[in-house]
Amino acid sequence: MAAVGFRNWARALSRGKQPGFSALLSQVRAASGPSKGMLPGPYPKTPEERAAAAKKYNMRAEDYEPIPDHGEGYGDYPQLPDRSQHERDPWYSWDHPDLRRNWGEPIHWDFDMFIRNRVDTSPSPVDWHTMCKHLFGFIGFMMLMFYLGEKFPSYQPVAPKQYPYSSLHLERGGDPEKQPEERERTNVAGSKAKSAAEERHAEGERP
Amino acid sequence: MGAHLARRYITETETEPDPAKPFGFDPEFGFNERKEREMVASQAQMNLAQVPVLQRDYCAHHLIKLMKCKRDNWPNFLACKHERHDWDYCEHQDYVMRMKEYERERRLQMRKKRVEEAQAA
Repeated sequence: MAAVGFRNWARALSRGKQPGFSALLSQVRAASGPSKGMLPGPYPKTPEERAAAAKKYNMRAEDYEPIPDHGEGYGDYPQLPDRSQHERDPWYSWDHPDLRRNWGEPIHWDFDMFIRNRVDTSPSPVDWHTMCKHLFGFIGFMMLMFYLGEKFPSYQPVAPKQYPYSSLHLERGGDPEKQPEERERTNVAGSKAKSAAEERHAEGERP
Repeated sequence: MGAHLARRYITETETEPDPAKPFGFDPEFGFNERKEREMVASQAQMNLAQVPVLQRDYCAHHLIKLMKCKRDNWPNFLACKHERHDWDYCEHQDYVMRMKEYERERRLQMRKKRVEEAQAA
């Protein structure tokens, strides 16, 4: 490729009409790309131009429809349906199975977007409104249930746990000067009997 | 299991106690004698043992013994069964007392309601 380019460059320099560097810029193109006749051209205006463009893009004349010209510069490129490759038959034996395309088939303008790794235009199993109803219904229901859970919490039927030293006033970072006076912690009735039982239990297993 | 929730929210909404609020009745009411709970481990001892704040309850002395036993017997993690049981039993007693306190509060509330209805009648 570089050798071909160099020869072109040398030939253009020796034969070109303009002197110097401008001689290099004209008509120097590698042979590996499409030929002049295969490239897109201007928007077709006459039926003959349409027929020629359809032939160029390997389409039937009745199928060929150029992209409407609003000044974006699409030229005579055909307008193909905006369907991604996901929607094509997966079981048909395509020439290129990964791209689901046959040789010579006209390529969509956004073909690289519509490959199977990217944008998928296939229809969803459920229609849009059903999807919205289901999603927002579920979210709304969950929010309602969480709200009810805050209003009516579930708890065990036990009193709050009691902590010593004025419910750990100093340990929780309280001011040493100010001691909050709470009601004293008391044992359940029969405290004497209970502490005796505790002693018996503590000494029960050890000699 | 859960009958207290039905009582609290549906059937007896005035008398079922709310554990989030402090219990208002006198702790000695209805008992002949009741002594204050005694705390065995001192604050200095709990600080030295680096007991987590939420575990500095009335069973902390058992927990400190358990921690010492585990520290001494590592890596034998099966060693401290007796100390662990002591601590567990103390915590169990504490939980049973919490259940009893709740029930006591509930019965006092119902008694209060009965007394008020008798006075109104």
